[in-house]
Amino acid sequence: MKCKLPLIITALVAALAMTSCHSVDEAPDSPEGNFDALWNIIDRQYCFLDHKGIDWDAVYAKYRPQVKPGINVLQLYTVCAAMLDELQDGHVNLTTPFATSYYKKWWSDYPQNYNERLVDEYYLKFGGLTRGGFTYAILNDSIAYVRYPSFAAGASDTTLDWMLMLLRDCKGMVFDIRDNGGGSIAAVETIVSRFIDRRICAGYIQHKTGPGHSDFSEPYAYYFDPVDPEKHFSWLKPVVVLTNRSTFSAANNFASVMRLLPQVTQMGDRTGGGCGMPFSSEIPCGWSVRFSSSPVYDAEMQLTEFGVDPHIHVDLDPEKALQGIDTMLDAALTFLEEKSK
Amino acid sequence: MKRLIHIVIALLAAVCPAVAQTDTAATVVRPVLAAYTLEVGSSHLCDTYLTPLHYSGWQTALGYERMQAMRFDPERWIMRLGGRVQAGRALNPAHNAAMWHFDFSLGWDMMFRHRLGNGFTLAGGGTVGARVGALSLMRNSNNPVSARAAVTIGITGMAVWNGNLGRLPLTLAYRPTLPLTGVFFAPDYNELYYEIWLGNRSRLVHGAWPGNYFALDNLLTADLHFGATTLRLGYRLNVASTKANNLVTRDISHSLVIGITGEWISLRARSARTPDAKVISAMY
Repeated sequence: MKCKLPLIITALVAALAMTSCHSVDEAPDSPEGNFDALWNIIDRQYCFLDHKGIDWDAVYAKYRPQVKPGINVLQLYTVCAAMLDELQDGHVNLTTPFATSYYKKWWSDYPQNYNERLVDEYYLKFGGLTRGGFTYAILNDSIAYVRYPSFAAGASDTTLDWMLMLLRDCKGMVFDIRDNGGGSIAAVETIVSRFIDRRICAGYIQHKTGPGHSDFSEPYAYYFDPVDPEKHFSWLKPVVVLTNRSTFSAANNFASVMRLLPQVTQMGDRTGGGCGMPFSSEIPCGWSVRFSSSPVYDAEMQLTEFGVDPHIHVDLDPEKALQGIDTMLDAALTFLEEKSK
Repeated sequence: MKRLIHIVIALLAAVCPAVAQTDTAATVVRPVLAAYTLEVGSSHLCDTYLTPLHYSGWQTALGYERMQAMRFDPERWIMRLGGRVQAGRALNPAHNAAMWHFDFSLGWDMMFRHRLGNGFTLAGGGTVGARVGALSLMRNSNNPVSARAAVTIGITGMAVWNGNLGRLPLTLAYRPTLPLTGVFFAPDYNELYYEIWLGNRSRLVHGAWPGNYFALDNLLTADLHFGATTLRLGYRLNVASTKANNLVTRDISHSLVIGITGEWISLRARSARTPDAKVISAMY
């Protein structure tokens, strides 16, 4: 037995070596293989299949027969993009060397409710101050107007300090995030921290823990803290957050956090949604796919994938817009003036 | 974790009596073998946190190794300390996306050796290792990086032949290393590093065993002794694979190794050697 021990150990190590090098199945780089790989990625990793009531097997049955041997790349792209549109998610894109698919109905089916030129020309008089992604001015002598069209560039503490210092005598603030398509969620915290005076629960985040449609982690609460008032400027006076259907992703998250603050009123149209943090993968032909993988809930444990309803619904009147009037901005200014009386 | 602590205690318990019984410092010289190596080769990577596809490309590494016979029983026990920095770039099968990878590893081995005669030596023992690294696929949105980290205990061995190639003294060595247990890091299935940064750190650290953490390193070297300088040529095959949280990683690299080695002796006054002191090398 003694002399057999090294042999047994060697055999065991060899067996471990054979079995432990975990394999990863890779689909073939064919039209069928690429379609199946894409379908599988969404099946195993997309986070809203159950929430949206999507029968992903039925989607496969609908689109798979359209992928026949010999179809060209444009045809394959068209079928794959149509399949991904079934997810009704602006965070889902299929990126190829010649096109990027993009689900548009979260905003294209609704009035735009925003005209940047209208604000620039008739309210800002092509003026205002612009710095670090923010454009700001004082309207009607006493109301601060802040436009923030994207969270992509982040938000600088220096810019926020200067802006809030220059606007500090105003009675209220319109924070306009219409047409803000999102960007860095870290910037949400940077900005919200200026509008709170104590720690708040900003929401909950979850992630998929496995390939099953209901494999999720426990929701994890995350918190925002206020800035140090000795070092930075804050704003605790009334605020109107203006939103439209093109307020998406990080901007949607910003609206969902801000609207629960006591001094904040959300006005305008419902936001565009997009509360799933995107993740990326790819298929054998090298096309990359982006999709939602981590649901973010608001502080009331509600998903905002299909948007956040405003406290006060206001639309842009196209006829008045022709006369130089932004009815949504006017409603916000009037609301804040009434509130400050 | 408890298992890890028990193994460390057992290892120390095995060594301590030997230390107490033996002191050969005055009559034995234990030269330090130091090797500096450069590696160049290919890598084949897959990390399903980033992509389900296999990437292939080049990799290069710098290595340092230090070996010495152990003080308490230099004829039979040797130690090896090694460090390695590896970096490389690999492409997906369509060659339209690049993945950069970086890896830093440290290892300390202690081996019992048995001289078989005719220049052959076999050694085997334990190893303690640590590894950190990352794979980066920058075109990904919120999952552009997959971090790697592990602390492991395992087994290692060495088969050495000291002989001549014609008139040139030569040392051939084969050294496999296989971690058996420890802990390693793996993100959760679709968890973003943003969520980890927010503070959700559950399911990130895993106990390792060869079924979920397999990392077999094979190093074959030929040390060609040109007088005081030794040229090291070799080949390394590293196979590493993990499976945790429904994620699989799989790295295979082949490298050609070139380097220089040398043995040096401490000349500290306190440890003055007698002229007839016995020189016990760790490998030569």
